[in-house]
Amino acid sequence: MFAYFIWTAPNPFITSDDLLKKDTMNRLNTQISGIRLDNPFILASGILDENGYTMKRVLDEGAAAVVTKSIGISERSGYRTPVVVEIDGRNMINAIGLANPGIDNFGEEMKIARESMKPVIGSVFGSTAEEFALLSRKMEEYGASAIELNLSCPHVKGFGQEVGSDPDLVESIVGEVKRSVKIPVFAKLSPNISDILEIAKAAEKADAYVLINTVKAMAIDIYARMPVLSNSYGGLSGPCIKPVGIRYVYEVKRETGKEIIGVGGIRTGEDALEYIMAGASCVEVGTAVHSDGRDIFKQLSLETGKIMKAEKIESIREIIGAAIRK
Amino acid sequence: MMHSEVINVEENTPTVKTIYFEWKQEAKPGQFIMAWVPGTGEIPISLSSTDTIKSITVKSYGPASDAITKLTKGSRIFFRGPYGRPFSTVRGPTLLVGGGSGMASLRPLITKDSDAIVSARTAAELLFSDRIKGGKVFEVTDDGSAGIRGNPIDALGTIDLEKYKMTYVCGPEIMLKKIYDFLNSRQIRAEFAMERLMKCGIGVCDSCSVDGFQLCRDGSIFSIEEMRGMTEFGRTKLTESGRRIYLNY
Repeated sequence: MFAYFIWTAPNPFITSDDLLKKDTMNRLNTQISGIRLDNPFILASGILDENGYTMKRVLDEGAAAVVTKSIGISERSGYRTPVVVEIDGRNMINAIGLANPGIDNFGEEMKIARESMKPVIGSVFGSTAEEFALLSRKMEEYGASAIELNLSCPHVKGFGQEVGSDPDLVESIVGEVKRSVKIPVFAKLSPNISDILEIAKAAEKADAYVLINTVKAMAIDIYARMPVLSNSYGGLSGPCIKPVGIRYVYEVKRETGKEIIGVGGIRTGEDALEYIMAGASCVEVGTAVHSDGRDIFKQLSLETGKIMKAEKIESIREIIGAAIRK
Repeated sequence: MMHSEVINVEENTPTVKTIYFEWKQEAKPGQFIMAWVPGTGEIPISLSSTDTIKSITVKSYGPASDAITKLTKGSRIFFRGPYGRPFSTVRGPTLLVGGGSGMASLRPLITKDSDAIVSARTAAELLFSDRIKGGKVFEVTDDGSAGIRGNPIDALGTIDLEKYKMTYVCGPEIMLKKIYDFLNSRQIRAEFAMERLMKCGIGVCDSCSVDGFQLCRDGSIFSIEEMRGMTEFGRTKLTESGRRIYLNY
């Protein structure tokens, strides 16, 4: 074995800004189930992830990875508009209704998104273990780096949360998908159930949990005297659900020790670190794209890097679950 | 969601109506609102007046737009916005090129220095050509029932475009693409109002994206320079479900 020590002269073309960026970048590197991430920020499913060109742009602009819109077996147009309600500028309730082109029509979008050379995680939804397995195999064929099982969409009958609140079904879905693909499998769970640990246990064959999906909610326009969403019910997201997400990540990490992707209301570096200290290895960001624009990914990396430097945190790995009291 | 009272309804063509309502919010030409008809649906509509009295100019093409054209004085109109990046405004002569109901979003840009190419299928459907004050109007119809028979390019070819500080274009994508191709080889400042299916209006659902830009947030107004690198413009778009379809204009 040889060790090489290479001395390089200070390069006049590297500015202190570049060094700061490099320093930040090194701190922000992380991984989830063996997938390397430049930073802990992943675009959450359902946000800017139906069109391959958009996913590619979000990746090029600073997200470490993207999760696709949830894709099913057949094409669905989703609900009539209104499909979103803004709440106080930063939060929203949505009921898009699992609009998707069907798995057979999604290959081209995957191909375009993957031109970014960064991980694309394929989100899928179905109503049986066989459907989930078929969808996951297709996603793997399309080059997905991992599968995210949507076991938690709160607003479509027969899918999502309805599937994800039945422990036996969850167990068979996760088992079947794990047998069907070689890439990592993530189970995205719902906060809208009485005992998340029961479902987490049922999904324990997954490589990681994604916590949390949106919180089932409603907004009524009193002047119209009716719910705003055409579907009446939707999923609440944004900073207002962050404390709920933090609690679930903390609880599930403490009880299972498994890897977790934290999601729910993250829009600042502090929010991200809070999730990581609660037990997340990385986080997904969605609604902050509404309040802050696509630029949020760059901002989050910058902010998180600064805080880590000030707090003398050398790597994400060193603080995962740091807040958990045994 | 906001609401206001309809203060006037104007019939502009046999199929197009303009609904006026008071809304003190500042808004600029090219911006749009999401108009909601409770129980029916919500659609994006560009503002056809941007003063304290706002207006939308609507053609019936589906349940929500149809319900909006049926609003009367005193009805309640529900909406959110204003959304989108507006047209840039310039001093000096401008050319407006509107196809079909595309003239609606160009109307707030009309000054005494504005010329306009107003195109439609028939003479009866020519929108707002009577609102051009001071400048020249070039009418174009598909069937030749008024003005030039053909498309806006037939009129553009007869005009000295270099005298305009800005050319504003709004209409169906096939028309935008033809005009873009025509103007692209010339050194002309131009802005286009693009159109795509839009669901959320707030930059999250990805329905209205073109090359990764959200029309509802980064657009719907784009300069000719910004459009130069777009691979989706005039070529492909996504349907309601997100399925990619080819336009081949």
